[in-house]
Amino acid sequence: MNRRLPPAARWLLHRAVGAVLVLWGAASLAFLVLHLVPGDPVTTLLGASATDSAALRQEILREYRLDDPLAVQYAAFLGRLATGDLGSSYQQQQPVSLIIGEQLGDTAQLSLSALVLLVAGALVTAAATAGRRRRVRGAVSGAELVAVSTPAFWLGIVLLTVFSFRLNLFPVAGAGDWRSLVLPVVTLAVPFGSLLAQVLREGMEAALHQPFALTARSRGLSGTALRLRHALRHAAVPAVTLSGWLAGGLLGGTVMVETVFARPGLGRVALDAISNRDIPVVVGLVLLSAAVYLVVNAFADLLCLWADPRLRSPA
Amino acid sequence: MPRRPAATTAATATALLVSLTACGGGGEQGEGKSGEPVRGGTFTYAAAVGTSCLDPHTSPGDITAVVQRNVFDSLVQLDGDGKLHPWLATSWTVSKDARTYTFELRDDVTFHDGTPFDAAAVKANLEHIKAPATKSLYASALLGPYSGSKVLGKHRIEIAFSEPNIPFLQAASTPYLGIASPTSLTKFKDQLCAGGKYSVGTGPFRSVRYVKNDRAEFARNDDYAWSPAGAKHQGPPLLDKLVVRFLPEDSVRSGALTSGQVDAAALPVTSAKAVQRDSSLRLNRRQAPGASYSLYLNTDRGPLRDERVRRAFQQSVDVGALIKSIYRGEYERAWSPLGPTTPAAYDGAIEGAISHDPAAAAKLLDEAGWSKKDAQGYRVKDGERLSLHWPFIGALVRDQRDVLGEAVQAELKKNGIDLVRDPVETGAYFERYGKGDYDVWDNAWVRADPAILAGFYLSTNLPSAGGQNVSRTRDKQVDAWLRAGAAESRPAEREKSYAKVERWAVDHATVLPLYVPVTTVGVSRKADGLTFDANAWPQFAGVWKTTR
Amino acid sequence: MTSPPTEAAIARPSFVPLRERLATFRPGLLLSVAVLVVAALACVAPGLLAPASPTDADPVAALLPPGGEHWFGTDQLGRDVYARVVHGARHSLLLGVGATALGVLVGLLIGLPSALLGRFADQVAMRSMDVMLALPELLLALLVIAVVGPSSVNAALAIAVSSVPGYARLVRGQAQVVRRAEYIRSAIGLGLRRRTVVLRHVVPNTLGPLVVPATLGVGTAIIAGSALSFLGLGPKAPTPEWGAMLAQGRDALQSAWWIAVFPGAAITLSVVAVTVVGRQLHIGLEGRPGR
Repeated sequence: MNRRLPPAARWLLHRAVGAVLVLWGAASLAFLVLHLVPGDPVTTLLGASATDSAALRQEILREYRLDDPLAVQYAAFLGRLATGDLGSSYQQQQPVSLIIGEQLGDTAQLSLSALVLLVAGALVTAAATAGRRRRVRGAVSGAELVAVSTPAFWLGIVLLTVFSFRLNLFPVAGAGDWRSLVLPVVTLAVPFGSLLAQVLREGMEAALHQPFALTARSRGLSGTALRLRHALRHAAVPAVTLSGWLAGGLLGGTVMVETVFARPGLGRVALDAISNRDIPVVVGLVLLSAAVYLVVNAFADLLCLWADPRLRSPA
Repeated sequence: MPRRPAATTAATATALLVSLTACGGGGEQGEGKSGEPVRGGTFTYAAAVGTSCLDPHTSPGDITAVVQRNVFDSLVQLDGDGKLHPWLATSWTVSKDARTYTFELRDDVTFHDGTPFDAAAVKANLEHIKAPATKSLYASALLGPYSGSKVLGKHRIEIAFSEPNIPFLQAASTPYLGIASPTSLTKFKDQLCAGGKYSVGTGPFRSVRYVKNDRAEFARNDDYAWSPAGAKHQGPPLLDKLVVRFLPEDSVRSGALTSGQVDAAALPVTSAKAVQRDSSLRLNRRQAPGASYSLYLNTDRGPLRDERVRRAFQQSVDVGALIKSIYRGEYERAWSPLGPTTPAAYDGAIEGAISHDPAAAAKLLDEAGWSKKDAQGYRVKDGERLSLHWPFIGALVRDQRDVLGEAVQAELKKNGIDLVRDPVETGAYFERYGKGDYDVWDNAWVRADPAILAGFYLSTNLPSAGGQNVSRTRDKQVDAWLRAGAAESRPAEREKSYAKVERWAVDHATVLPLYVPVTTVGVSRKADGLTFDANAWPQFAGVWKTTR
Repeated sequence: MTSPPTEAAIARPSFVPLRERLATFRPGLLLSVAVLVVAALACVAPGLLAPASPTDADPVAALLPPGGEHWFGTDQLGRDVYARVVHGARHSLLLGVGATALGVLVGLLIGLPSALLGRFADQVAMRSMDVMLALPELLLALLVIAVVGPSSVNAALAIAVSSVPGYARLVRGQAQVVRRAEYIRSAIGLGLRRRTVVLRHVVPNTLGPLVVPATLGVGTAIIAGSALSFLGLGPKAPTPEWGAMLAQGRDALQSAWWIAVFPGAAITLSVVAVTVVGRQLHIGLEGRPGR
């Protein structure tokens, strides 16, 4: 099918269909999983409240149509999704889009800053240390290894204790000016950045040992230029393939970082929503993170094509 | 006070963590020991938990009450000493049968949105609380057997109940029954939970902004001229702005305070000592009234149906030593399901009623048939181990209660009782709560009235019916005492009724009281005037900064 | 927190001469092996390393700083932190190993059919994996916990589930390469039965390259497990699991640093050791011809 379409259009169509499938699957997964777990949403919502719960339960069941058979609820849910309606939070009694919209900025700020920092940091360390003397490399990669091997929340607590409580260099928490962003961003960026640096360095070292590197050197190209111009580009492909995972990792990481640093954001919204069976909110967040993943992956593919022309020929 | 559903544990903890009473200077810290009042400035308070809904008519959270007290005034005020004072109501009368209350209201009060305050506004609020669409999780219970209200004049209202309701005035003093602008109740009916500009009251501060998990911001209400009669500071607040930050990590909250990033913070018990040593800070503490932190034993299921086993449970745990070592003298051990600061409720004679006597406990267990032990040293009967399940939500544990729980576990183990602490998810937690699928359940609940005991012991108040009767006690005599307490207007007589229930609860080993929650608030010496109300919740209307 | 199969992604061909690599890593490697041996001993016979009980409370001896009698000090209940760290190895390491083993197994069960059973099976399997990959691993793990409830076994299960798509894809890719390889073609050409070929050649040759990512995955799983414990979704008290100890000690960091610092160090140290050994394995395997 679609063989008559030009390759670019076919590629796009294929991707779009795949994306819709993934979004549908992710939303359904979250919806069904949370409907099947012990403790229905109403019980959770009522909790240990001190009111006559029978009447209230009826009211809530009616309002959210939770007394319909699951299949009916699922159909209605898909119908709503198709029109772009994410529904209303059970716990917060507000539209999901509003809840997500309100906290999206903080999470985006945190994860994008972390992304910039970790990419920059990884590029610099990798370029500076690839193929260097054993001691330099050893020390740097040892530090990276420790960073990757430390739970991020623990790193965050230690940073807070030292830089905020003791030295009072940065505010302790919240979403304020740039200073309140420093420690959370560092906490989020360090483990991922260390990992990326290692991947980049391996790629660069591989490149530096290839014949073309020798040729370039013999043509009189300086070491630095070689590193920056050729080796880095070579190393980019494996690094870029990590980006989908990186996107997910950063989003997941915000849950921990926002908790430790008491920042507002989607990570904490997700944590609350999952434990409170706030299904509409969970579905909204699942859709959002799946969409981010899809977009990032599409970009990564394009980037790979750009970085390594060899990938452009059909496999 | 009830905590919000999920935050059961948390909210109580907040209550604990949140209040302040004078410490440094003793008594009220009204008088500027640390500097003269300055008009203006921003005061930032770090609270321990957030909430998913800021409408006090809906949310049961302590934190909702603490935060929204600034925005919503009440008909009457209950001060820190448990005395009632006029507020939005200038005077009131109670009918002999305690079923009808008539209030004379102030005629000079305006809501933040310009709506005038009158009897119709009060009626609209009470009806909003009772309306099913509000989904009230607590306020509606506080309002009790409400049967309707009559507007007798522009500023005169009669509120009627279908049963005697002595606790009503205390209920009316809480922010849960705070009066919101009737205009906002209709105009913002779907946004009330969102707080911020949707919260419109008559309070000393206007609600400006609320960002969930982050902060709530308030600005001075310059028109405020109706402070409660019992308040030291009258008129508009001195502060320009009040900010409540939500910082759930204990270490973050105390770090924020010690490093001067907030002016006050609800403190975890672990940092109380450090704050006390810090000369730039003051520690304000007050025991919370209401139900103390206790373990309730399910009298309806398994081995604990046998009173001997329940008593052995009580006698196996050295509560005094545990509280002392874990809380380092910050908290007092509890002897009764009610805390000693609960007005008209506490009978000191109950102290000492439970003794730590492992040998006697072992004998009781032997008598009850749990005489054999298995390889791990736990008692068995008919091949069944003496295992007791205690569910909890790990993420909501505060106040070192996990440490305390493990300590109780270790004490019981010495006597061959296997206390199993089940970490569960919120959904499963409340499902088990409703069904009575547990042996041990912990609870604490702030309320400045002994009527809270009815929630815990009235036979009709099982969890499935929206009560907190987690020991699943069903006793006619207990019911009669509780009903008498709700109909008795003489405090001394009330106290007698409730004291009997407390004694019964302890003697029949339905409960193991552990400690009396204490609200601990650390305050910077650059600010002053923070007080606690009768619920041991911090009050911000009279706070001032000593420097700009 | 997530730091998962990341390392798996790193395990890609490297062209650095074997000798140089070995030289770089040698001291670290010896140390790492030593750490793992001690950890293994702590798993098998914790009583040998730490005779004190990890759960016996002694309120009188609460919050003692590290010293002669209590090497790592005592916690709020007077329990010996050293004993708890040693006994905790079993829970934390088993969680890491168990979660990884399960993840690899399920990954195999999905990846192999996907590579071998034709287009339809492949599409279904890989699309499902896409759905799971599209969710942050922590979110996926939280959803699993929501269904099965918090406990140590369930934490391992949650981490395993969130690692499945990574392993499944790896298996599929590897199996596709193996299937097209010369020797498989010749085996089929020689008339061997399909089943025999799959079991004797495809499976082992697919598994081989999984050793490295799986080893590295153990470290990742330990960290993910500690994150779940931190969020209160880990094992039951009073289980001395490192993540749970870290979580419980964090509030006392300013006054009694030892309660959190030692389990924290144990996590980092063991993850580093596992990673170093995993990489060495990678280099060793790379060096072998004929793969």
